[in-house]
Amino acid sequence: MRILVVEDDPLLGDALQAGLKQRGFSVDWVKDGIAAELALSTDAFASVVLDLGLPRLDGLRLLSKERAKGSKTPVLVLTARDAIEDRIKGFDTGADDYVVKPVDLDELAARLRALVRRSRGEPAAILELGPLRVDPATRTVSFRRQPVELQAREFNLLQEFMLNAGRVLSRKQIEDRLYAWGEEVESNAVEVHIHHLRRKLAPGLIRTVRGVGYVMPREPHHG
Amino acid sequence: MARTWVRRSIRRELLVVLLAAVAITWISTAIVSYVDARHELDELLDAHLAQSASLLVVQIGRESAEIDVDRALPLHRYSRRVAFQFWENGTILRLHSANAPNGRLSSTTDGFSDADIGGKRWRVFSGWDADGHYLVQVGERLEVRDEIVAKIAKNMLWPLVVALPMLGLLIWLGINRAIRPLRLINRQIEYRAPDNLAALEIDDTPAEVAPLVASLNRLFDRVQTSMENERRFTADAAHEIRTPLAALRAQAQVARGAGDDAERTRALDNVIVACDRTAHLVDQLLTLARLEPETFAAVREPCNLRELVRLETAEIVPAALAKAIEIELESGPQVVIAGDARLLRILLRNLLDNAVRYSPQKTAIHVRVDERDGRAIVTVADEGLGVTAEERDRLGQRFHRLLGAQAPGTGLGLSIAKRIAQLHGATISFDETGPGIGLAVTVAFGPPQLR
Repeated sequence: MRILVVEDDPLLGDALQAGLKQRGFSVDWVKDGIAAELALSTDAFASVVLDLGLPRLDGLRLLSKERAKGSKTPVLVLTARDAIEDRIKGFDTGADDYVVKPVDLDELAARLRALVRRSRGEPAAILELGPLRVDPATRTVSFRRQPVELQAREFNLLQEFMLNAGRVLSRKQIEDRLYAWGEEVESNAVEVHIHHLRRKLAPGLIRTVRGVGYVMPREPHHG
Repeated sequence: MARTWVRRSIRRELLVVLLAAVAITWISTAIVSYVDARHELDELLDAHLAQSASLLVVQIGRESAEIDVDRALPLHRYSRRVAFQFWENGTILRLHSANAPNGRLSSTTDGFSDADIGGKRWRVFSGWDADGHYLVQVGERLEVRDEIVAKIAKNMLWPLVVALPMLGLLIWLGINRAIRPLRLINRQIEYRAPDNLAALEIDDTPAEVAPLVASLNRLFDRVQTSMENERRFTADAAHEIRTPLAALRAQAQVARGAGDDAERTRALDNVIVACDRTAHLVDQLLTLARLEPETFAAVREPCNLRELVRLETAEIVPAALAKAIEIELESGPQVVIAGDARLLRILLRNLLDNAVRYSPQKTAIHVRVDERDGRAIVTVADEGLGVTAEERDRLGQRFHRLLGAQAPGTGLGLSIAKRIAQLHGATISFDETGPGIGLAVTVAFGPPQLR
């Protein structure tokens, strides 16, 4: 899951980026409102961690602009402003969650997972599709009740497919969701990861739609 | 406030002063009247004595026997103490009243005199008949006069005894009425919620109380402003400290979850930086809090401004060298101002620190101490990216940090500098160093009072 962190404080931004990466997210970090607006207009993020006191464009202004544009990306406001009025204003402007600094990184990760899950209309914390069981919180996978060892990227890729079951994802879309800026993407990385997933789980789990992309069918026929 | 054993009371003081004034006036009047009455009475009774004497002289010869005045006509009670003597040739007592002594009433042979006979004081009139044959002396006990005058005085003073308590009551009621606005103010303040600093509203405030109400309202206003500032400052400070604390915690958590040593070391280094930064922020906040104008009185002693600038510039040189920044204190006059050297150094340190912090590598910073139009001027000019005119207006606002500021800062340095300048009656202004280049910060002090 790719997360955009908007935080002007260098040490906190750095920690959020590193900490969320440790917890399996791909993280992009921008330091002001205008940069955030630009990032949101060019890339697809599963969720946004938004500070409110930002240079150039205030967090709440950015949020209301995004919502006005019709953006449905879940936004978690992470701020020092703890007054009830501020929280209410945050939610009413379009925030999906409101967390007061300081925050525990595990909690932040859990909240982000919940936000993403809900935004995809998936109420259960554990993703299940036929014999496949994916637990984003513990980052464990089982297939036909047998635990399966996956690499971090493979897990992220599988999670993306689970959250978008039945929908075709292009290679570009997949790359966007898996890799933060500046991360090297080898040209055939996605193909390699998909190959591994098919091998470790089931060959028919992910189908290739030639010239379009990949899809995980809602009712998979596991060959 | 020194607490006296009995608290002062306007009511009591007014009452005492007014009653004392009335009593003193009254008693003085009584004394004057007494003296006056005594004098008039003396004249009147003396005239009577003289008249009695002349009446007696007319009767000489017709009566030669002793006359018992006491048994004579029933006279007025005051008259009974009148005595007389007839002396032939002034030496042989021919006739006298029963109450008269055998000796001469008075040694004087003409006119009025006072005499002491058997321990009693007498007023005596002496006169001769037309032939100069008989000396007549008529005496009267002086205590009679004393009694009369004492009676007059008593009559004048006793109403005072009745009038004073009545006056006291009236004055008491009057004062109560007059100080009603004070009681109203007291009640309004007494039943106030502690955080209620709204202006007092007293209907129909008397002229004497209006300044008090106005002063109180001004005080309330100042306290309110000061409290709001404090509240806002505390809120701001709490917010500002949350972010470094969040960074500290998050970096620590990253270190704990680090997959390799390099990542852990990096995160732990960041933890240390975050700690230092938090400590710095706390220092700055404390400095700023101590400089609250309500609680702070700046020391005024002669300070050699140039020397202070030199000391602080020397302090910042290592940091400047680390970024290959040339820092130069330009030559200029010695300028002495009245101020608090410790605070002035904090001000200068903040300006120099900002200049070094926000200057790119391999640039120069020019520091100048000057005197223009009798005003001491310190200028710190850098060759950094500069600050737009719009942003310049917001410089020095609490916690305001420049956009895209990569260098860590608390956003308090200029606030502190501004506050210190304010305490010294100085102003801080911001300008470009050159067209589109750098930021020049100028501190202009008032005219130097000490040379």
